[in-house]
Amino acid sequence: MRNILLTLFSFFFLAFSFAQKKSTLSGTITDAESGEAIINAKIYIPAIRQGAVTNTYGFYSLTVESGKHTIEFRSGGMETVVKEFDLTADVVFNIEMSSEIKSIGEVTISAKKGENVNSARIGQIDLDVEKIKTLPAFMGEVDIIKAIQLLPGVSSVSEGGQGFYVRGGGPDQNLVLLDEGVVYNAAHLFGFFSVFNVDAIKSVTLIKGGMPANYGGRLSSVLEVHMNEGNNKKFKIKGGLGVISSRLTLEGPLKKDKGSFIVSARRTYIDVIMKAAIPESSPFSGSSYYFYDMNVKLNYKLTEKDKIYLSGYYGKDVFTYGNKTDAFTVDMPWGNGIAALRWNHLFSNKLFMNVTSTFSDYQFKFGSAQDEFQFALKSQITDVGGKVDFTYFPSTRHKVKWGVDYIYHTLNPTSVSAESQDVVFDTGEAQKLYSHESSVYVLDEFDLNEKIKLNAGLRYSMYQHVGPFKRYIKGDISNPDSVINYSKGDLIKFYSGLEPRVSGRFLLSETSSIKAGYSYNYQYVHLTSLSAVSLPTDIWYPSTDKAKPQKGWQGSLGYFHNFKDDKYETSVEVYYKGMKNLIEYKEGALPGDNVNDNTDNILVFGTGQAYGIEFFVKKAYGKLTGWIGYTLAKTDRKFPDLNGGDIFPAKYDRRHDLSVVAGYKLNERWTFGAAFIYATGNTLTLPTSWYVQDQNLLFNYGARNSTRMAPYHRLDLSATLYDKSYKVKQDELTGEPIKVKKKLRSNWSFSVYNVYNRANPFFMYVDSNGDFLNGDFKISVKQVSLFPIIPSVTWNFEF
Amino acid sequence: MKKIFFLLVLLLAITSCTKEVKIDIPGFEEQLVIDGRIETGYPPLVLLSRSKDIYSPTNIDAFLASFVSGATVTVGNGTNEVVLDEICTDNLPAGTEAIASDLFGIPVSELANYHLCAYTTFDLSMWGQVGKTYYLTVTFEGKTYTSSTTIMPSTNFDNIFWKPDGDLTDYGYSWVTLSDVSNQYDSYMWEVKRINIGIDGQTKDAGYTKTYSPVFDDDFFDGLTFDFFYENPMVWDDPTVPDEYKGYYRLGDSVVVKLSKMDRDVFNFFEKKYIQMSTAGNPFATPTNIPTNIVGGALGVWAGFSTSYDTLYCVP
Repeated sequence: MRNILLTLFSFFFLAFSFAQKKSTLSGTITDAESGEAIINAKIYIPAIRQGAVTNTYGFYSLTVESGKHTIEFRSGGMETVVKEFDLTADVVFNIEMSSEIKSIGEVTISAKKGENVNSARIGQIDLDVEKIKTLPAFMGEVDIIKAIQLLPGVSSVSEGGQGFYVRGGGPDQNLVLLDEGVVYNAAHLFGFFSVFNVDAIKSVTLIKGGMPANYGGRLSSVLEVHMNEGNNKKFKIKGGLGVISSRLTLEGPLKKDKGSFIVSARRTYIDVIMKAAIPESSPFSGSSYYFYDMNVKLNYKLTEKDKIYLSGYYGKDVFTYGNKTDAFTVDMPWGNGIAALRWNHLFSNKLFMNVTSTFSDYQFKFGSAQDEFQFALKSQITDVGGKVDFTYFPSTRHKVKWGVDYIYHTLNPTSVSAESQDVVFDTGEAQKLYSHESSVYVLDEFDLNEKIKLNAGLRYSMYQHVGPFKRYIKGDISNPDSVINYSKGDLIKFYSGLEPRVSGRFLLSETSSIKAGYSYNYQYVHLTSLSAVSLPTDIWYPSTDKAKPQKGWQGSLGYFHNFKDDKYETSVEVYYKGMKNLIEYKEGALPGDNVNDNTDNILVFGTGQAYGIEFFVKKAYGKLTGWIGYTLAKTDRKFPDLNGGDIFPAKYDRRHDLSVVAGYKLNERWTFGAAFIYATGNTLTLPTSWYVQDQNLLFNYGARNSTRMAPYHRLDLSATLYDKSYKVKQDELTGEPIKVKKKLRSNWSFSVYNVYNRANPFFMYVDSNGDFLNGDFKISVKQVSLFPIIPSVTWNFEF
Repeated sequence: MKKIFFLLVLLLAITSCTKEVKIDIPGFEEQLVIDGRIETGYPPLVLLSRSKDIYSPTNIDAFLASFVSGATVTVGNGTNEVVLDEICTDNLPAGTEAIASDLFGIPVSELANYHLCAYTTFDLSMWGQVGKTYYLTVTFEGKTYTSSTTIMPSTNFDNIFWKPDGDLTDYGYSWVTLSDVSNQYDSYMWEVKRINIGIDGQTKDAGYTKTYSPVFDDDFFDGLTFDFFYENPMVWDDPTVPDEYKGYYRLGDSVVVKLSKMDRDVFNFFEKKYIQMSTAGNPFATPTNIPTNIVGGALGVWAGFSTSYDTLYCVP
């Protein structure tokens, strides 16, 4: 391995040394209407078939041999700009691109045309937020996580669930980033809605394999979400009124063309509906649920070379329950708070730097009171971190990135308090765990020749579990229980490791390529779940001296082929993923078992593997767009202390997963969408037998996850009716009718979830009722289904 | 945490629908079930039955047919060993009918209609004594199953009292002061019965009833002296008790509390048993298999209990 890396890096520097007389064209690309930076816009020189793309901040840099060049600037939905440059010296060219004006039926050709074949990255998908808005929406809430779940290799946890599994990895193995801040729980309402308000979202990228070296800390995937920056030309308001929630977004310039802001907020009114539905006289009249969230982002261009961004997210779910009869109340809030402050600096037209400081917090609280008894439970994870990333564009053949990042984790897995009158119960000391996670990385995306493009990188990550900390050691007959006390700052355990990442593309022809990728990842924080479904009660737990970091490697290989001028994109990818140090609770573990004990004392550790093949056919442009994705996969786990040490299927092992997504633009006013999903049923553990002890009926459970629920399938439909973009007025001078662009634009979005009202299994359980001795005893298997057919309508507006 | 699960189940109940389905649940394997106990001052008692497929019939005949006979059951205490006698309902020694009825849950009048057998001994040397470890061996259909259990030293309450709850005057919980022995593992089981004599001349409760969550160990209170309370488990299904007084003992009740101690393996069985009984079918709880202390592939438990009794008079 060491030799390979040495050769690789020697090559990078050799490549740079063949410098000739070159000039650099650099700048930023923004939207002429809003001033928003355009991500992934393409800058292309057809004559030499070389180009560049803009980064997250709209910056590009293209170094070519000096001379005359015809350069194209392309971005999806924007007018392509073609410009001649006589590059005798370095040139800075900032460009504002305008929206395309198309007649009905005209096609939109994306900047990413052919990108799936040409890019060196494997397993990366950029989702078009505007397209997501036309997909069927559950209860009218447009949801990027549900859109992701329609991609091959990605599956949902359960009906309506927000957790997603990528290529057989667990839901905690996905790095979810919102403007580079880590999102620990991307769900509202027990997982039925995502925390991402689509009005505030600019771009969504999912990397499910071949993770580049600038990402780390998770084994399976990266979901990178960027917020809009806000219009720096004029003030705008947009929003939507839905069945269960509404949202409102304000954006405008802080100073025209210099800086802008965006504030986007959303709130459900389920509580208002519940209040109306539950009469005052009802014992449950104190019960309600609502969630709200708010996205805020500010940006300001300090100089031509410096720009700062401040992003914030705060969201909360609040569930309250009251029962007057037995004076029982519950208050259960949970939510995320995320903030990121970023500074972009251009050292030169080839060297770009981004400095980020992030804060991320997830809290779950539960409080209940009955008469004089009060109980409270809290779980929290707080990250404070920073990172510095450099991007260097030495030539069109190379894009080099390097950087460092650091996170200080503070985790409080569970703290419990209970009291009754003046008696305080001993519920153990609240255990906080502290750790430092840091890494350095370097990567180069380079063209070896016309056919071969590589993205090779290396990441070195380090992790320190530090005090204060109490290690509880369970004794045995000869040794009593004991406790080791670590003081503040004491190093309890240090882990580190090299994480090589390589992906590459071999161009077979202009329309086809073969890609391969390999990545090795470490993960230092883990999600532990006692339940069969994902819940806000699932707790994050860091690596300790006992809980080792998860390690995983993935290899993938794909064939990509485009047809009919890239109108149809197809691919087949195979992958294998191996995972070590996976975490589960011991069999029979209970939530209270970590009181006066370390949670990791009730955890067990094992390995996992996942492999599969993914087929993807996409129609990229035209009136009808969409995709068909099919995955054939298997994922299993092996824990010495679970299931008798035998291999068992992971709970999200799905043999078949099919999704068909279609959008049809009938005319300028009507757009239709459809999504169909078919998936093998989830696994679960049910009792195989019953027996009697002391006249109590007891169940004996079978092998872990050995039962499979019925397949899941569902069809959703949507229709969006846009208003006319203009109104007709009489010209005051000529008296002729003229079209005037309307200030207020709106659309009606109609959705039907689960069109054919399929009762999909959410979970199953064995139910027993009656009495043996009375002769009415019965055991039966029950299936619980959540959502029947649900129509919804949302009115969206913008002015 | 249980309350969180309860609320989530409540939420699901609002939005969901439930139907009975028939799905393949693979992996059934019939196993012998051993339900054995030995208590201080009492003989060992062992019932044997078979586990049944989850879809098998569940009528009274199927339930009673799950019991088996014809096994050889021996109990030893490290010094000597005794083969237990097989005593069956269709051939009971005189005076044991009520015990058998209580054991199998069928009326005395019906006992003779069934061939339900228990294993026990009248050899006093094998009756339960504190501090001894008892070794069980069951041989049935060519297979041998073994286990052992220790009768731990018992712990008595420091105090037992009743007090009205909140603003109530006539209803309250049973309270005790317990001093846990330090630096040793202790686990407890709580059972109660009311011994008030009714107008029919009978005591209120014939046998002991376990509370909702009757077992606990000293993980959180090793060596501490503390007060705690338990509810009255007998009145939850009593239609004559108004809802607001469910769970309380009434002023004037006389209650015998039976506190049994057990070893760690036996506690593990009962802890998981009662968790399973309260969470079975809850999707937010992990499936709880009940660990057995029997070696050889059987289900069930061989449980040694040391008991102490105290009587509570429900007066302020």
